[in-house]
Amino acid sequence: CTDILEETPRATFEPSFFQTQEGIQGGLTSMYAHLRYIYGQAYFYNTTLTGTDEVTYAQSADQNFLVMDLSGQGDIDPNSSRADVLWNAAYSNINTASGIIEFASEVGTSDALIAEARFFRAFDYFQLVQTFGGVPLDLGAGELEFNITPSRTSTRNTVPEVYTKGVFPDLVRAINDLPDAPRLTGTATKTLARLYLAKAYLTYGWWLENPNNIPTYPDTPRVDPDGHNPQWYYQQAYDIALEAIANPGPFRLQETFYDVNVAQNDRNMELLLYADHTETSEFYNAGSLTWGNGEAPDNFAGWMMTWNYTVLRSSRSNTTWTNDVESVRREAVQALGRPWTRMAPTIGAITNTFADKTNDSRYDGTFTTVYRANIGRTTPIPGPVYNANFLPVQDGDAILTFLNEQPAQAINFPSPFNLGANLGAGTLPGRSDFVMGPNNISRIVYPGLWKLGPYRTDSGTGLGEPNAGSTRPFNIAKFSELYLIAAEAAVKGATGPQSARDLVNVLRARAGVWRWDNNGNQPKIVDNSALMVAATPAIIDINYILAERSREYYGEGYRWYDLVRTQKWNELAGTYQIAGRNYGDRTAQTITRNIQPYHYLRPIPQSQIDAMEGDRAGYQNPGY
Amino acid sequence: QTVNVTGVVLDDDELGLPGASIQEKGTGNGVVTGLDGDFSINVQPGATLVISFVGFASQEIAVGNRSNLRIVMQPDLGALDEVVVIGYGTMRQEAVTGSVASIGGESLREVAAGNVTEALQGRLPGVQISQTSTQPGATQQIRIRGTRSLTASNDPLIVLNGIPFAGSISDINPENIESLDILKDASATAIYGSRGANGVVLITTKAGFKGQQARVSYSGFHGPKTVFSPYPMMDANEFMQMRDAAGLFQNEGASESRDVNTDWQDLFYQTGTMSNHDVSVAGGGEKSTYSFGLGYYHEEGVVPTQQFDRFSMRAAVDQEIGNHLRIGFNTNNNFSTTQGSQVGLYNVLSMSPLASPFNPDGTRRRVINMPQDDTFVLTRDRLNDIDGQWLNETRAYATYNAVYAEVKIPGVEGLKYRANLGLDYRQSNQGEYTGMGINSPNEETLSTAAVGNSHNFHWLMENLLTYDKIFADKHIFNVTALYSTEQNTFYSSRMTGRGMLSDQFQFYNIGLATEEIQINPGDQQYNQWGLMSYMGRVMYSYDDRYMISATLRSDGSSRLSPGFNWHTYPAISAGWNVSKEPFMNNFTNIDMLKLRVGYGQTSNQAIAPYATLGGLGTRPYNFGDDTYAMGYFVNSLPNQNLGWEYSETWNIGIDFDIYNRRLTGSLEFYDTQTRDILLNVTLPATNGVGSYTANIGETQNRGVELALNGLILEKRDWSWEAGVNVYVNRNKLLALASGNQRDESNWWFVGHPINVIFDHRNIGLWQEGDPHRDILEPGGNAGMIKVEYTGGFNDEGVPLRAIGPDDRQILDLQPNFMGGFNSLLKYKNFDFTIVGMFNSGGVLISNLHSSSGYLNMMNGRRNNVSVDYWTPENTGAKYPAPGGLASGDNPKYGSTLGYFDASYLKIRTMTLGYNFDQTGNWMSAAGISRFRIYGAVQNPFVLFSPFNRETGLDPETNSFADQNTAVQGPLPSRLLTIGTNAPATRNFIFGINLTF
Repeated sequence: CTDILEETPRATFEPSFFQTQEGIQGGLTSMYAHLRYIYGQAYFYNTTLTGTDEVTYAQSADQNFLVMDLSGQGDIDPNSSRADVLWNAAYSNINTASGIIEFASEVGTSDALIAEARFFRAFDYFQLVQTFGGVPLDLGAGELEFNITPSRTSTRNTVPEVYTKGVFPDLVRAINDLPDAPRLTGTATKTLARLYLAKAYLTYGWWLENPNNIPTYPDTPRVDPDGHNPQWYYQQAYDIALEAIANPGPFRLQETFYDVNVAQNDRNMELLLYADHTETSEFYNAGSLTWGNGEAPDNFAGWMMTWNYTVLRSSRSNTTWTNDVESVRREAVQALGRPWTRMAPTIGAITNTFADKTNDSRYDGTFTTVYRANIGRTTPIPGPVYNANFLPVQDGDAILTFLNEQPAQAINFPSPFNLGANLGAGTLPGRSDFVMGPNNISRIVYPGLWKLGPYRTDSGTGLGEPNAGSTRPFNIAKFSELYLIAAEAAVKGATGPQSARDLVNVLRARAGVWRWDNNGNQPKIVDNSALMVAATPAIIDINYILAERSREYYGEGYRWYDLVRTQKWNELAGTYQIAGRNYGDRTAQTITRNIQPYHYLRPIPQSQIDAMEGDRAGYQNPGY
Repeated sequence: QTVNVTGVVLDDDELGLPGASIQEKGTGNGVVTGLDGDFSINVQPGATLVISFVGFASQEIAVGNRSNLRIVMQPDLGALDEVVVIGYGTMRQEAVTGSVASIGGESLREVAAGNVTEALQGRLPGVQISQTSTQPGATQQIRIRGTRSLTASNDPLIVLNGIPFAGSISDINPENIESLDILKDASATAIYGSRGANGVVLITTKAGFKGQQARVSYSGFHGPKTVFSPYPMMDANEFMQMRDAAGLFQNEGASESRDVNTDWQDLFYQTGTMSNHDVSVAGGGEKSTYSFGLGYYHEEGVVPTQQFDRFSMRAAVDQEIGNHLRIGFNTNNNFSTTQGSQVGLYNVLSMSPLASPFNPDGTRRRVINMPQDDTFVLTRDRLNDIDGQWLNETRAYATYNAVYAEVKIPGVEGLKYRANLGLDYRQSNQGEYTGMGINSPNEETLSTAAVGNSHNFHWLMENLLTYDKIFADKHIFNVTALYSTEQNTFYSSRMTGRGMLSDQFQFYNIGLATEEIQINPGDQQYNQWGLMSYMGRVMYSYDDRYMISATLRSDGSSRLSPGFNWHTYPAISAGWNVSKEPFMNNFTNIDMLKLRVGYGQTSNQAIAPYATLGGLGTRPYNFGDDTYAMGYFVNSLPNQNLGWEYSETWNIGIDFDIYNRRLTGSLEFYDTQTRDILLNVTLPATNGVGSYTANIGETQNRGVELALNGLILEKRDWSWEAGVNVYVNRNKLLALASGNQRDESNWWFVGHPINVIFDHRNIGLWQEGDPHRDILEPGGNAGMIKVEYTGGFNDEGVPLRAIGPDDRQILDLQPNFMGGFNSLLKYKNFDFTIVGMFNSGGVLISNLHSSSGYLNMMNGRRNNVSVDYWTPENTGAKYPAPGGLASGDNPKYGSTLGYFDASYLKIRTMTLGYNFDQTGNWMSAAGISRFRIYGAVQNPFVLFSPFNRETGLDPETNSFADQNTAVQGPLPSRLLTIGTNAPATRNFIFGINLTF
């Protein structure tokens, strides 16, 4: 009768399931799924952009965004920093990877599958070491061992230890063992592993060189345990990137920049890694298809740089401005989506980074600059509807346009501001759309980030489900970056068959090709490649590489890492311009940021320190 | 040669009197009556029996040639007469040595209520009943002498008619309750072993008795429920002023207009009702008793569609077969439905008062557009419109059964064997349906449906040997031995579908969903646990003066790791009835004085099954749009050494009865130390696995309880009785994981209570010109919340750093004391009862005011709680300046706005009743033996509550910290808070009790 004291769980797994073939498969899947807890998580997304030359906080920003801007709106501290998102998601994945690597050979898993685990362990360590400095390699069972014993202590390794033990060996092995073509849509490949090894070498080269004397932690000499100098690593980065370009497998650049980012072409063969989502299954999407609360695993990053365009109003009367037609309603289309108004582009990003908006298709393929009436969607708003200059507008017509250039003729801004489409926009003679000039961009009215807008096929004639997390994959790594990694390595002295200019021009030439005018909402078959290449400076410096990276990857979560790697954060983002946070604020102010050397590492999250026992002093990065 | 005499001893209400002593006069031969007052004794022919029972006048009865006796005892004024149920037996109150608090069914029903927990509030010292929800049918949380465990359950064991109860306490109809006894200290609970670690609530339902003529009773009440006080939201004017003060949202949303002032709550609440009907019949024959009852309870909330219905049926039969065998069963069955839990209040409260519920053409708005939010409009009329398109129903059927057989072992007088078999089953079926576009700003949001089923099977087998013996008139022995096994199996499943073809399907055919049908593995549950126990207890009393009780119990649990899953623990208690000592004869004012002391250990295994095994988390993922896979990762670690959590308790008590029963009372002190606490330990992220369950930590509960009852006035037509109970519990965490002093991630701190707040201390608001704001609050503004800085200063008195996480402090939540009171005033046939409760000090958490509720954002984005806020002209305000420095969507340190003084004194119920005269009138002609009518008002008013004074709201909690808030804030979900649950109500009741 002692049977009743024995336990058989029938609805849950024990950890030993992990040591079976099915468990290994499930472990691999969870590593892809863990990406959703980092990429597309808007607060983490914000840490990669807010405070850089690309992005500042917007009108509805809360502390999560304000502190990241380093412009006197509160401090980044162990509680307020949202880099905790990465910290809290990475280690359990690293442990899972170690478990797979440990058990897989016992159950006869192929080297190619084990290599996926190796890739992810290296990937997480690479992200951690860039964000926090040296991080622990030992989770409680020994360095890089699968841990199933509770441990409330932790010791941080140094940056060189993390790279030489936790990043490089796994990636080298992964390049060897991974397949050319992905096992399933979006899984790891040789090309992906090469991209990350090249990038890790490049980043580590910069770290060893340390041109601006930025501190590291835990403190350690800038000496490579493997005995190489920065130059050696730059050359390695260059060689591996070119090897990847020469042996692309199924991957290739898209014909146009628009094709890289248009939702209908998601998961195209330029994309090497993404945190996938779907509208075909709410369960496997792991997030509601109708309402997102703004938490992982939803992809809600795109909400942050979407300003509240639903405030736009047109008029029912063509004689007096009645301000009573909500002409651009919240809609689940790539140009619109759910407005959270937490992050905004700086004016410099619009006017300097994307100075060329005519030849270069990348401005048009990055931002929503024209807000079009969706009064025809269910439930339709009956016309006639009048807009700027009391001119009639139809469904699909522009209601508000962010002009490419400040016009020669001054924009007429009517007063009070509700006469200007209800948000202080202006008019130009003969135009039925309200307009804003690039210098009028404020924290409350600014071009949206088209790249990350939502896309749904189930909206029918209606406005769809704009409040759900995006069902599009959040892109993490692209084939195009191999060119920019190699180019950056070349700028840093690596040599080989292609110069930095050659490499950069591959992407610039592609950027000159148009097939669709996104904001004009019409076909545009133009090839400006020659003009784009001709405009490339003869000597490429690191600032040019960084500007080119921003044009290519604006708003995708690269920027803080790029500026930190190259130690150019303070130089390029120390000041920025934007107008204020109220409707009617149209005059750019120059804001100065207080970026200190210690900010080049994010604070270790308070939750880690809180849960630790023993000596906790010395675990935190200095300055926090 | 002896003759056998059987019979029953009844009290003056003709209820069976257990524990009465039957002595053959002039011999040492005697027995004690059983549970129902029955006895059987072999005596010499022609013997005289002496029947005695404390509190009643002794009787001497010559047997003559009768073989069956029916003896009705008359109360002996000046003596105690109460019998308490102590678990596996009953005992005269006078002989009790442990800590037992009792309340009779009649007193319990002084508060008309749908469930036991509501009726118990404030009635017994050391028994804290806290409201966790205000929805119809909701039950409340019971804590007996505080909180012991950190993550294990702190709920007491409910024992229904002797069988540990596996169901929901809402399944017990208060009308059926004969008596309720609560075992509080370890010496009393030890017999229930690990199941009794958090105290034991023994509920005995009504039964018939032998020789009773069939008696039919009806009781019922009915009345409206009204909103005690609406949530204090801003009206249009206040709201506009706040937007202006914030300088935000100056251009109204599409549905807003400055000439509109909508009170959304007024358009939402309805008048609820509660009613109850209960019919029972009870009776008995020479060798049998029976009772049978039917009940119906119905409650409609003030939130439209929220409703609870319960049909209950119970039966009890007891039959003697021959002289040695007795068998019986009792069964409690009910069917309940709970509806409307999908309707929340957040939208109602947060909608802008500037928005009208109507379109300009007079039709009802589906959605209102505020500057940043579109909200689905919820009013009672709209809910009527969408009847059938939006529902959440739970239908539960439960049956709790006990079958027993008792054999008197021939040849050994007083030795009995009893077998109890408990068989319980509860199933519940929950269905949800949300039609297309319902509760969504988007008209085309697909409909969703869900169905969940759960089953719980519980069986219990108990083998009991009892031996009762009285030696030499003065030595009374009771020995009990028990072997029991018990197993519980829970199984639940749930499926959901999107895009039902038609509203008419609701959730009844999810197979017809046009979109994905989900069976989420996280929603499918199965667990099974078992418990084996051995127990022995000896109770001995000498001359009613000295009493001792000793228990030893051993439990084996399936939930713990092999090798660590058995634990044996003792309990012992003793009592000294001082007033029976000869030297007390001179103290004539002292009718009774008893000292008690007890020590015992109990254990707790209340962790989820399989916690020793660790577990995997699941992460579903899609590879492209059409390849789906399930991911697994280790998220909790196994623990092969997981063993028992156990508590040791000392209890000292004094019971007294003075001035000829004018004042009775008891005073108790206790000290409980809980060791090897079962704890789900959060590990640092760098461990790679989130948590594991371990035996870690130690807590202490110390307390004092005082209960007093007095007969204050007794004149010809008048009498006034009153009772009060006061108790204090001091909880402290003595140790945590491997010597840690603090666990900030769980808010546990050694030397502090388990439940604390770990937050900044709000010390007011920053005023213009206050020094060092630039250092302490970079980016801050005048009028923002000022919190205490705990860091250092330089020589000039300038703070060294900005305010940060290091300034968070541990804030004690515990009240100074709590208690309840009741008063019964009688004049002729009228009686007037007041039942109340009180709480002094401590912290009440209002998520309405804190940042978790999103109703005090102080920026005008959505409607705001009506608060007195800072402006340059109103610097003395309590709440910060609108539009100031924010953290998230709320004012920085907004969480500190939710802490209030928890003091209150609350009248729970005032009842005026009238009992019609029984004698010689129409009633007896109609066969009515009792007829009472009453009217009651529940929750009439609250006094001494700072929270109530500020907000008008009921200061009782209504939610766990993670419920009825917009976001889950930093508060651990175990804390109780005021959230946006259904508002508290004031109820008016009219009731009838009728007995034929």
